[in-house]
This record gives sequence, C-alpha cells and structure tokens, in this order.
Amino acid sequence: MIENARQIVDLMRKLTAKSCEHAHLRVEQIESERLSTSSQKTNPVEKSVSTGYAVRVLKDGSWGFAASSKFDPAEYERVIKLAIAIADASRKVNSHKVEFVEPSVGERKYETPLKSDPFALPFKDKLDLLQHWENLIHANSQINSSSTFLDFRRHTKLFFSNSGSAIAQVLTHTGAGVTCGITKSRRERYERSFPTSSGQFVSGGFEAIATFGIEDKIEQLTAEAVALMTAGECPSKTTTIILSPDLASLQVHESIGHPLELDRVFGSERNFSGTSFATIDKSNKLKYASDIVTVYSDPTYASGLATYLYDDEGVAASRVPLIQNGMLVGYLSSFETAARIGLPSSAAARADGWGNIPLVRMTNLILEPGNQKFADMLAEVDDGIYIEGVSSWSIDDNRENFTLSGEVGWEIKNGKLAGMIKSPSYSGNTVQFWNSCDSVGSKDEWVLWGTPNCGKGEPGQNARTAQGTAYLRFRNVKVGA
Amino acid sequence: MISQDQALTLLKSGLAVSTADQTELVLIGEDLSLTRVAESQIHQNMYRSDTNVYVRAIKDKRIGIASTGDLSAEAVKRAVKDACDISLLMPIDEQFVSLPSSQPVEKTNTYFKDTAENSPQQRADAVKKIIEKCSKADLQAAGAFRNSTETVAVLNSLGVEQFNVSTKAELSMTVTGNRDNAGWSIGYDRSVKNINVDALAANAIDKAQRSVDPVAFESGQYVVILEPAAVGQLLLFLAFMGFGGKTLFEKRSFMSGKIGEKICGDNMTITEDPFNPQMLGVPFDYEGVPRRRVPLIEKGIAKGGVYNSYYASLAGVESTGHALPTNNSFGPYPKHMIMDAGTTTLAEMVKSTAKGVYITHFWYVNYLNPMKTMVTGTTRDGTFLIENGIVTKPIKNMRISQSILEAFSNVDMISSERKLYPQYSVVMLVPALKVNNFTLETTEG
Repeated sequence: MIENARQIVDLMRKLTAKSCEHAHLRVEQIESERLSTSSQKTNPVEKSVSTGYAVRVLKDGSWGFAASSKFDPAEYERVIKLAIAIADASRKVNSHKVEFVEPSVGERKYETPLKSDPFALPFKDKLDLLQHWENLIHANSQINSSSTFLDFRRHTKLFFSNSGSAIAQVLTHTGAGVTCGITKSRRERYERSFPTSSGQFVSGGFEAIATFGIEDKIEQLTAEAVALMTAGECPSKTTTIILSPDLASLQVHESIGHPLELDRVFGSERNFSGTSFATIDKSNKLKYASDIVTVYSDPTYASGLATYLYDDEGVAASRVPLIQNGMLVGYLSSFETAARIGLPSSAAARADGWGNIPLVRMTNLILEPGNQKFADMLAEVDDGIYIEGVSSWSIDDNRENFTLSGEVGWEIKNGKLAGMIKSPSYSGNTVQFWNSCDSVGSKDEWVLWGTPNCGKGEPGQNARTAQGTAYLRFRNVKVGA
Repeated sequence: MISQDQALTLLKSGLAVSTADQTELVLIGEDLSLTRVAESQIHQNMYRSDTNVYVRAIKDKRIGIASTGDLSAEAVKRAVKDACDISLLMPIDEQFVSLPSSQPVEKTNTYFKDTAENSPQQRADAVKKIIEKCSKADLQAAGAFRNSTETVAVLNSLGVEQFNVSTKAELSMTVTGNRDNAGWSIGYDRSVKNINVDALAANAIDKAQRSVDPVAFESGQYVVILEPAAVGQLLLFLAFMGFGGKTLFEKRSFMSGKIGEKICGDNMTITEDPFNPQMLGVPFDYEGVPRRRVPLIEKGIAKGGVYNSYYASLAGVESTGHALPTNNSFGPYPKHMIMDAGTTTLAEMVKSTAKGVYITHFWYVNYLNPMKTMVTGTTRDGTFLIENGIVTKPIKNMRISQSILEAFSNVDMISSERKLYPQYSVVMLVPALKVNNFTLETTEG
C-alpha cells in the first residue's frame, strides 16, 4: 500500500504543483469482519477488504475529486487528471473562490492502542461467545427471537498533501451487542437491546467487549422484554423525564452534533440532510442549553469511536468547545468552512473511506459529567418518566423539532420507579429542551457511546461518531402521542 | 468499466480453484459521477470507480463468504480460498438447500451511452442553467446531479452465468429564498436525456415562490394531497416493514399471517415489476435468478412478498429473483415497486378538497411501530393549505404520525400520471394520492 501511495503522490505533485492551490491524496484500506446470530442460528460471517485512493484538488478556488480502487500507473494518471478536469468544470460555474491556509504537520503516525487484535482471534472463539449469549437469552423460554453480533474494523489511512504532510493512521474499532424480542400478537412485538439498539462500539481491541457487561445484563434484559407485553401505555402529558445515557447520547447526536456541523450551517446539505437553526450570528449569543450543559469536540479523547489524531484534511485534532455552560461557543468544521468564520479547522473533516469527499462530521462529542447519581436524580422527581434504550428518532431538516422514543420506560412516582411503560416517546424544540435540562449525571455513570452509522451527504456517507453522556434530567417535556 | 468477457473470465478463474460443494462469484462495479450544489455554487464534485468481487462457498451446508476489491486473478482466487476456508469454520446451516441453477433471462436494455458518458462539463452546464434561473428569481439553488454505470456479473458452480451493465441519472434540487420559502423537485431515468432540467427547475422555483412566509397550522387529522415523492417515501417504508421474504419468514412483517386478507383500501394495488417499460430493471438478481413480477398488495389484499433462493426454500416457494448482494443481512427486497394509477389529476384533487394540506415530500421518516406500520417524519420544501378547492397559503412544516396502511385505507383519489421516484437504490413508479384522515402535528421548531 505504501509503495503504491508513493507512486501516486509523486505523480500528483508533478501534475498539480503548479496548477492547483491544494492537492491531497488519501490511500486507504478498510478491513472489516462481522459475526452474527439470529435466533440461535449463526449467520454467514461478513468479511471484507476495501482498498482505494482519492485525489482532491483545489484549482482556482474550486474543488475536484476523483477516486479509484484500481492500482495501476495509467489509472493513477487518469484519476489525477480527472480530479483537475472536475475542478475546471466547477470553476466555470462558481462565482466565489474557496480559500484557506493549509499548514503542514510533516510526517506523523498514530495507531489505536489495543491489547487483543480482534482479527487475530480464531473464528470459533468469537462464534462461541455469540452462541453463549444466545443461550443466556433463550434461558428465558418466553423469548422467541434474538440476535447477537461482534463487529471489527481496521481502517488504515495514508494522507499526503502538496504542502508536505505525510500522515499514517491505523484505527481499530470493536463493537458488540445483543437484542431479544417477543411477539405478543400479529400487531404487537417488543424488543430490548444492550448495550443499546445498535450495540456499543469503541476504538480498541477485543478486550473492550468484556467492559460492555453484556453477559451480566442478559437476564434482566429478557425479563424486561417479557414484562413489556403487559406494560402500560405511555401517557400523553407534559412532565419531567430522565434519559438513560444511551438515549441521552442519541439526543446529543441529533440535536447538538448535527446542528453544529458548520457545512450544514452554511447550507451545504440543504438539498439532502438539511440546514441548521444554529446560524453563525448566534455564536456566543444563543443560550443553547442550561448552565449545567457543557459540550466539546475531542477526537483525541481515548477509546472513542471517533478517536484519531488527524482528520481527512490532515489537520491535527484537539479539544474544541461547542457549548460552554449552556452558551453556543463553537462549531465542528473543516478547512474551508472554518476559514469562512476566521477560525482554524476543528479537525472534523471526515470521509467514509477512500471513495468519498471529506464532510464536516461529528467526532467524539463530550457532554461533561455533572455531579448527581441516577438514584439522587430520581429521588428529586415527584412525577415523571424514566426512558431507557433507543427505539426510534426523527428530527426536522432544521434540527429544531424532534421526536424520540425509547425501548422501555417507567413512571416515576415520589422519587421512585413505578409501573413499566411500553413505547415511551417524547418530543420538543431543541433549544427549549436543552434549556430545561436541570441535572447532568456524574462521571461514574458516564459512557462514551459509539454510533457506527451516522448518515449524511450525497452520495450517502456513513460516519462513525461518539457521544459521551451520563443520565440527563429535563423538566416540562411533552411525552406520549 | 470491465467488459463482459473480462468479468466472466475473471470469475471463472476463481471458480476453478474452489474446493467447496457449491460456489458463487458476484462482481459488482460502479462508476459514479456526482456534482453537488449549495448556495448556488458547486461545492462538491466527484468521480469514483469501485469494483468488488463477492464469493460464497458452501461445503457440507456450511457457508463461507469473502470479498475483494482487487481485480487481479490472484486476488480473486485468494478470496475464493478464503470463502472456502471460512466455510469449514462455520456451523452447519440445516436450512440451506442449494444455490440456484441456471435459468433463461429476458434481456432488457438498461444501458444508455448518454448517461454513461455524461461529463463533468455537461453536469456543470445543467447546474449553471439552474443557478441562473434561480438567480433571476432572487432564489438560491442547492442540488445534486449524478450519473452512474453499474456492472453486475454472476457465476456459480451450477451453471448460472449472467452479465449486465446499467446506467442511472438523477437530478434533485432544492430552491430557497430568505423568507423561509423552499421548493424541491427530482427527476430520475436510465437515460440522462430524459431528465428535463428546465421543467424540474421551473417546478422547484414555482414552489419556492409560492411558499414565502409560511404560517403555523394547527394539529389535527386532515385531507392531504401527497405528491408522488411523498407517496414513494411512505411506500419505501412499507416495503422495509414487510415485503421481503426474510421479514415474512421471521414473522416481523405487517403481512405476517395476513396473506389473502384485506389490509388496505380496494383502490390500492402495489406490484414489484422490474419489466415495466419506465422501470427498466436489471433482469436478474445478485444470485443470477431472473427477476419476476410479484403482486404485493392487490385491490387492498395482501398477496405476498419477494424472495431469494434461501428464503424461498424456507417458505416452500420459488425465488422471485430479489436477492441482494450476499454481504448483507437484510434478505430479499423489492427494488422496482409500482402503485397502480388512478384516473384523476393533481389539479382535480385540489379542486375537490374543502380543507386540506398539500405535501411535496417528507423528511426523516422513521418507524414508530413496524407491525402497525406506524411512522413519523416531517413535511418539507413546499407544504400548503388548501381551502375550498384552492391552494391558499404556505404553511410551516408539520410532523406526521401515521400508520401507512391506515393512510392507504383512506385513499380517496389517485392520479393518472405517475412519476419515477428513486431512494436508497430502490426505484418506485408512483402516482399522487388524496388521503383522508391523515394525522399532522404542529412542529415546535
């Protein structure tokens, strides 16, 4: 891979050095492996390797991008020249020129620290673990459907720029999860999942799976699935809610992460993913959330699913404040978008593999822990609902109006959990909702949740993001239909 | 792109080294070009060429899968060996019967040279035209213009040998003003010559001009008129929730246990039809099985789902030719759904409505309860109030909270004109609908 990269970068520099302001080469390989079961049956292992390269040029203020999986000198030349021709075509339409200063970071290397390489372990050991989880699930005879999975990915990334950066990163991700289901009738079916509906994903090796606590949770999970059959309906009212950390993670992702993507703010996603209400005139003016809410982006935070040291424009990652004591103070950004507000990039330009253009994406978003444990948070609620797990979500194209639902809920009466509720849902307006947050859970119940499937862009790109959250409590929230 | 001879020769070289009882090799290649616009500028403009070979090897009913993006004969042989090695480590799948055997395939012309050769400059010219039209109307343009060429070759040890090249062209645009106004339109065809740039731009600009300063509208159950794209977005979710053989077999489908029963209105007929002349579907699936026309819902009665060879065996039926690539766990899926046309027009629908809401399309549709086909989402880019048969004013986007089957039970009028609507690799041919008692909620945005 490195030899091919050297050939391409030499040719890229030769063909673009004089005609283009910037040129980047990314040569990448993604090796992935997913093992899974469905209702005690082992599914075929999904194992794949994708290798390719992309050349991105900025010529006379317009972008061009071309990518290929074919490693051949004639193809290298075709791809580089096509990227330049695409930039030329863009230039004939555009009235504005993209401008930014691109610093070089020189030669850099980073590799995810891990103790146990998941790709080196025998298939049998991994499949045995899934069957063990299946057996634990079906120890509850009322469960009639189940699924389990292990998911591993190694992303090798080489980045070269005409400005002199040469960066090598090897990012290893590990994920796992279980789901159990019960069908009550032709129109009623209930599921519980753990660690959350899409499983938990982190940067790291196989050793991470033991930290998820899946085995210890299964008995409780199956009992809750059974109990959902006789659980009450979610009431329709305005009340206090407490969100489990995984559901709080989705809330951060949808209503803080996406609105603060600066490309979205400027309208880059207007035709697809939408825009954002959090326009730049609101920076340092909008009280986005209550005083106890502080959120920052930090790709260098250890073990997150978006942990890296350089983004796909070669920018060194660092901690960037987004919301400070409730005030909107920053954005997720790329070279181009950050330059428009006179700031350096937040190192959030990320591409879905070699064949896509980097977009502004979420990184590790850290919602700083507060000081209340769940039990203490609960004890202060006379009447409300506790919602756990992730079932469904939908938010408008301006990221203001949302509806989310959990897998299970409980009524809160006089500071204690009372009757179970099925299909608990809540809705609200982003800024009103976050300003109603009156308690953030403490560090010992805080989890950095990995989201492996964040969609954005045309063609559709999938990003791996993370949101660190504990329990969150909100007042005066509309719940139910 | 790889030629038929090159593709099949490559796959045969891999098949020759297999030690499995049955082996399948599938080559999928795509050349994708896409020009993206925002703020009336081209901000993303790209080309990507990617081809992969997927191998499925079965030994003693143990299934191994491997893939490679390296198209050298050595790499493909290595992938075959990997699939064979993996199969030996897998438990026996007692439910597996066989890979499909060879069947004749009806040829369809799915390749259009104009689309395959649509250049960055040609896309830029079209985009420039849209931007200029918007500029004259004091509006901004955003959008995406894509053209792609997909190659599929399938070979297996039971004699299946298929090859097809297809093209797709798609132009979508969102036109906006600075008074919360927006309009959207989309066009899709195998041939880029059939993408009418002027008409699509005129439609989006008209909507944007008519949607200035939208007002909030109260929650309630209303008559709604859904443009074809909005109908397609609901149909796609209905398909997710139950037209695939896997969801039916696992009893997760809204049609589970209801085949032959009435599930929606008499005027609803939905068919998977890759042979419709507007659809021009690839004539075989990713197992090389000829695609079939499959009735899904006929006059409101659940008729059945689509199958690949695996789930067809389990269900005791024949494959309908709807396998997806082997590296997915979703199961068989319909990719060419058609809703029967009616006899009316959009204008007649509006004229017949005393009070209702006109909806261009939806955003972020997601499940609430799959077994009840309940979904949520919001309206987007052109939502209007209809009063006494006339579109009177634009209204702010509203949230839907609706059972799709209930909506399809309340269809009052169906347009005679249908449009192709693409989403997530699925293409639908759908009319506009007038639906009674559709639940809309005021958004708090």
